[in-house]
This record gives sequence, structure tokens and C-alpha cells, in this order.
Amino acid sequence: MSLARAQSFEFHGAQENESPLAVARLRLMIGVLLFMVAFGLMGIRTIELGMSSPSVQRSATREIVVPPVTFARADIVDRNGELLAVNLQSSSLYANPREVKDPVGLAQKLVEVLPGLSQAELEQKLSSKRAFVWIKRKLTPKQKWQVNALGDPALDFRNEEDRLYPHGRLASHALGYVDVDGNGIAGIEHYFNERLSEAERAGEPLALSLDVRVQYALADELEAAMRAHQAIGAAGLVMDVNTGEVVAMVSMPDFDPNNIRGVGEAERFNRVTKGVYELGSTFKTFTFANALDDGIATFEDGYDATKPLRISRFTINDDHPKNRYLTLPEIFAFSSNIGTAQMALDIGGERQQQFLQSLGLLSPADLELTEVGAPMYPATWRKVSTMTISYGHGIAVSPVQLATGISSMVNGGHLNTPTLLKSRGSNYRGQPVISPATSRQMRQLLRLAVTKGTGGRSDARGYRVGGKTGTAEKAVGGGYDRKALISSFMGVYPMDDPQYAVFALLDEPKGTKETFGFASGGWVAAPVVKNVILRTAPLLGVLPKAEDENLYQRVALMIEEDE
Amino acid sequence: MRRTFTFIAAICALLSGAALLQLKLAVQDQAERVAALADQIHEDEESLRILRAEFAHLTSPSSLQEQSIENLAIMPPRPDQVLGNINDIPFRRSESTVDGSQSVLLPTAERPKPGAATPENGKSEDQTL
Repeated sequence: MSLARAQSFEFHGAQENESPLAVARLRLMIGVLLFMVAFGLMGIRTIELGMSSPSVQRSATREIVVPPVTFARADIVDRNGELLAVNLQSSSLYANPREVKDPVGLAQKLVEVLPGLSQAELEQKLSSKRAFVWIKRKLTPKQKWQVNALGDPALDFRNEEDRLYPHGRLASHALGYVDVDGNGIAGIEHYFNERLSEAERAGEPLALSLDVRVQYALADELEAAMRAHQAIGAAGLVMDVNTGEVVAMVSMPDFDPNNIRGVGEAERFNRVTKGVYELGSTFKTFTFANALDDGIATFEDGYDATKPLRISRFTINDDHPKNRYLTLPEIFAFSSNIGTAQMALDIGGERQQQFLQSLGLLSPADLELTEVGAPMYPATWRKVSTMTISYGHGIAVSPVQLATGISSMVNGGHLNTPTLLKSRGSNYRGQPVISPATSRQMRQLLRLAVTKGTGGRSDARGYRVGGKTGTAEKAVGGGYDRKALISSFMGVYPMDDPQYAVFALLDEPKGTKETFGFASGGWVAAPVVKNVILRTAPLLGVLPKAEDENLYQRVALMIEEDE
Repeated sequence: MRRTFTFIAAICALLSGAALLQLKLAVQDQAERVAALADQIHEDEESLRILRAEFAHLTSPSSLQEQSIENLAIMPPRPDQVLGNINDIPFRRSESTVDGSQSVLLPTAERPKPGAATPENGKSEDQTL
């Protein structure tokens, strides 16, 4: 039928006069054709798309958004990434007293759940006219659950963050602590408060140079020594002599930064950086380095130590008197004050002051802590001062300053400012202060002070420890208290290629039966250094090995032992 | 013919409409799942932080030392036990026992008669028996 119509259309279309109906049909057919072509194209395209395998997979336009874990304060980690301080979510409980119907009953129920609260105080709080009172801040998840179980509409929580120190007392002085609102109050927390609370860098932990394993070994040994010798305090430090990085820093007594309420001033005091002490003979190291570096004395020289030295109203004695002429290595090994004082006179007060200044011993340590003590020394540098300072009396410095100075004596002569941050690379080289040759001589002296001198009890077999004892009487009033000692030992190992300096100090130690009543640095502090080295050298990658005697033979022959 | 065409078109339209609705519901469903998973990831990340802190607390050197003293018989290494070079490791000793203990015997060795003390194990075990 349709064919017939089409024929008729052709037939009619050929005619001159068309009927309006035919025109309408023609137009309609053109429209239908166009649509059919369009649909046909779409069909072909559909089949083509269905057949083709798209090479590029279009990613979903919808981004999957995981709400980020936000916290207000960046973590602090040690050099190996071990967590030292972390912010965790916690809830604080508050109440709206206007909605409380039965203050007494609610207070009673709350005290049952939160035993630390006083009921009378709570009742008073809950019956006040205010719209907001804190009940307790920083609840544990269990306490929160129990409070929720009370089901009182007047109670609600506010999300807060809690600063947590997973290692408790360990490294508390270096880390410091924060107040209840999360502001750093002491230590690294205070010094880097802005960096830690920067919103953009909260996800980026702050890496310290400390190593918790070494930190613990040092703290453990110091605590044991402190208990054994009934000392009132102790301080210890492990430093990388080549970079100035502080690997461990211990001050005793310490505190738990997780709970600083009721912690006294004595516990918060950082003896390593804030405490300044007259450190005694350890200072002879600097006098010797000064004299050797300036060419004022050589190993072949010596000084007369037959009798005590008198200067104005002072008398300078030796703790281990030999009463004879001593060579330079002997003066160091036997820790002769008389010999060292004479050498200092040869150096001269001005040069001595200049040398100590160059080692940073006359200005506060440049460390990333606000608790840094200024050294104490005489305002006018008299002849007596020159002599006493040469063996560490009449000048008080902090242990971290001493360790920095000693490091520069043994590492080839570079003064590396101490740091608590890991950022420093192993290629770091500080300002040169003495020549590498003098540094090599100082290593020999320090090693011989251990093998032949007063530091024998620090000799951790295999680790070639070198070091110097220090014993000073505490200044009380105008004079010195013979009973109250500051006993310390500054050790460095291994002496043929110095890596780490280990310092231990005991405040007012008492002699015991094991030490035959002695409480000097060689008896009480040197064993601490030895134990710390034995415990930590394997962790720090220092290998024990047989000593190369040739390194010390020539100098060792200069030391004549009487015993 | 035209009616069938219209009819088919209508069916197609209805079908595609239904399919579209179906697709929309499926997408909504998946979107909800994605949101739930994202929330779950967030929560997991938060508990990961807590676990990390707990791990640090539990593996603190002081608690490790306590646990070690309680449960292990391990001492800090002596300097002569620390070897830095693989060539320093000694070969296994050729004696019948290792460190004088009867419990460890080398495969090639004959089992010594109990009581017959060899120089190696004579001082350690037999004395305590």
C-alpha cells in the first residue's frame, strides 16, 4: 500500500499543480528521513562504541575524600623514628548547670564514675547559675563510656587533644612538657612551640638527634650509680663528636612529662644544659691542647711538681702527688694541678681566655633549648684565676659545653655546635679550633689517662676508651666544702677514630665499700661511662677490636709508673 | 507500521528510563559505600595513631628490659661476642658437643657415654650432676 502511495506521490509530484495535502506529506517525509538518518548515525556510533575497547580508562569524576586525621601539634620522634611525643584525641566533660534537675544525685553518680573528683565541689558546680562548667578534662575512653551510660542530658563532651609521652620519664628534660591547652612550657616543646603547632606542618614529625635506646642505657646506669652512691643528682650526655648531635641527655632526678602536677623545681632542672659546675681536672684537656697547639710546650717538656705551688694566699696541691719532676704526659695522666698551673702561666691569662672563648666555654651553649645556663668565671682574670682555671676550678660550665669542647679536641679540631635535631648531615664540619696534629696528640693523652692514669675504671675492653676524670669540691659560701663533691668523667671512644663522647656526673656522691670510701670521678663516674659504652657501642655500630699499641707507645714510654 | 514504531519507541523510552533510575540508585548506593569506607579509613587512621603510641609505650626500653629480665636469659653482648666481619665468625667446632651441652650433637659425632667426661663437657654439666 505504501509503495502504491509512493508511486502516486511520484506521479503527482511530476504534475504541475500539487494538492496542499501532498505538499504537507512531502515535508513530513523529509522530516522523518532526517530523523531516521540521525537515529541511524546514533545506532552506528553506539555499535562502534560498544565494539571498541577504550585505551584510556577515564577516572571517576567523583574524588574519594577521606577526612584527614587532624591534630593540633606535630609529633616528636627520635633519630630512628621512635615516637617520643604524640597528640591523641580525648574528651573533656562539661555540664550545663541550668539543665541539671538534681545536682546532689548527679554529683554522687559522677563521683562513682570519676573517683578523683570531690562530691562537695561538684554539687556546688552543678547548682551554680552558669551555663558551662568543666567537670573533668581529658577522660579515658572507658570513663567517657561510663559517663555516657549515665544518660544525663546536662552533661556533654568537648573534643580535646592530649599530649602523650609514650616513654614516660625517658628524655623528659630534652622533650619538656606542655600545659593543659597544649602550649609548650619547657624543653624542645617550648623551643619549637611555633613549629610544632603550625597547622600546615602538623603531619610532619620533628626528628630529634636522640636515640631512645642509648638514652635509656645512660639513664639506667646513672640511676643505679646515683642510688649506689646516694648522690643528690646526676647528669649524663652522649654526643656524636663528629657532628655535635646529642644522642642522649639525662638529668636526674627527672619527672614524668605526662603528669607534671606536683613536680618540683629540682626535678624540672636540667643539669646537663642549665646546671653549671666546676668540673675539675677535665679542664686540663683544654690547657694541654692550648699549650701544644701554640707550641708553648711539647711532649718532651715537663714541669717541676716536687712541692705545692703557692700564689698569694692560695696553695695548689696535687690529689695524687708524685713529688718529682713530671713530663707532660705524666702531668696529664696523673692529673697534676701543680704542673698544669705552671703550664697555664706560660700560656698567659689573655691567651687562655681567648682559647676558652673560641671553644664556647665562656658563653651559654648554643643549643635548641631555652634552659641553657650561662657559665660562671671571674670577671677579672687574675693570675690566680689563670692557674686554677687551668685545672677546672674557678670556672663553672654546663656539661653540654664541656662535651662540645672535648669533642672538638678529639675530632680533628672542629668545634661543632651541639644540636638536638637530627637534620645535620654526617659531613658537617664546624669551625677549626686546634690543628689536626694537636687533636691527634690529645687523643693519645686521653687514652693514656685511661690506661695509665686516673680513668682506669672507664676502660671498656675492646672499645679503646679515652677520657679524663674530674673531681671538684662544691663551692659553699665563700669557700669549698671538702665533703660535697661534683665527680665526673668525660670519656671518648674509640680513641683511634673518635665517634662518641660519653659524659657522666654525680652530684655529692658518697664513697661505698666497693670504692674503698672514695667518691672521686675516677671511682664513681668512670664505671658509669664504661657500662654505658659496653651497652650502647653495639647499638651505635662501633666495633670492639684489639688496640694498635703503636699509636701510644712513644708517649706511653714517657709515663713512669711508681706503683 | 507507524503504530508499531511508536509503540516500540515508547517501550524503549520506558525501559531506558527504568534502567537509568536503576543506575542512579546503584550509583547512590556505591557512593554511600565509598563515604562509609572513607569514614572507616579515617577512624582506622585515628586508631592507628593510638596503637602507634601504645606500641611505643610498650616497647619502651625500660619495659623491654623488665620483660627481658623476667622471661629471657639474654645478657648484653660482651665485646668479644661482637663480630664486625663475616670472616671473623669461627667455624663450627669439630667436637662431639657444642659448648659442652649434651643436647646439641653434631651429626657426624658419636654420642659419648654418659659419665665419660670429655675435656669439653667435663667442667660444665657433669659437675652439676
